[in-house]
Amino acid sequence: MSREYEAVYIFDAGLEDTAIAEKLEKHHALLGTTAPITLDHWGRRQLAYKIGTKETGYYVVARFHAEAGVLPEFERALKLDDGVIRYLVSVHEHELGAPPMTEEQLAARRAREADDDEDEE
Amino acid sequence: MRRSRKVCPVTEAGIRFIDYKDERFLSRFITDTGKILPSRLSGVDARHQRQLAKAIKKARYLALLPYTRSQSAQ
Repeated sequence: MSREYEAVYIFDAGLEDTAIAEKLEKHHALLGTTAPITLDHWGRRQLAYKIGTKETGYYVVARFHAEAGVLPEFERALKLDDGVIRYLVSVHEHELGAPPMTEEQLAARRAREADDDEDEE
Repeated sequence: MRRSRKVCPVTEAGIRFIDYKDERFLSRFITDTGKILPSRLSGVDARHQRQLAKAIKKARYLALLPYTRSQSAQ
């Protein structure tokens, strides 16, 4: 049975953007899906704590549909990849029966985040 | 005398699902040292507290939130 998964990768911030795109493509090829994979590049950001000697990482969030059977091989490849500092693959969870958030709701959420900013000041 | 029950801040914020990637939101529910804030202090209801705890632990693994933070570093 195919399920929707969400993966977060933290790449070595020292890698070129093209190298990261290449790695993503290579790993995603292992999933054997034809459905499009949603990618969200967060870019380079500070890690909350040091991982080894690294203080920054390049974050990418990917959402895809895949068969459960292909995941062990996929995760093994990620584990062996030195360019990947850390990764987390999880079943994409959202409220059961609830439709994905519409643009309006996302806008509302962004507005709320902006409000939070003001509170902090 | 009992104080009236606080309104759950997660419900109040209209969050439909607690996202482990939203570290700005999650950081409201950890202490200065990085501990998960108990629900008796934050007023979060039990269902959301369970979801929060899981989300915070995932966020910590992904280095979005600290496991611990020394107070002198503040």
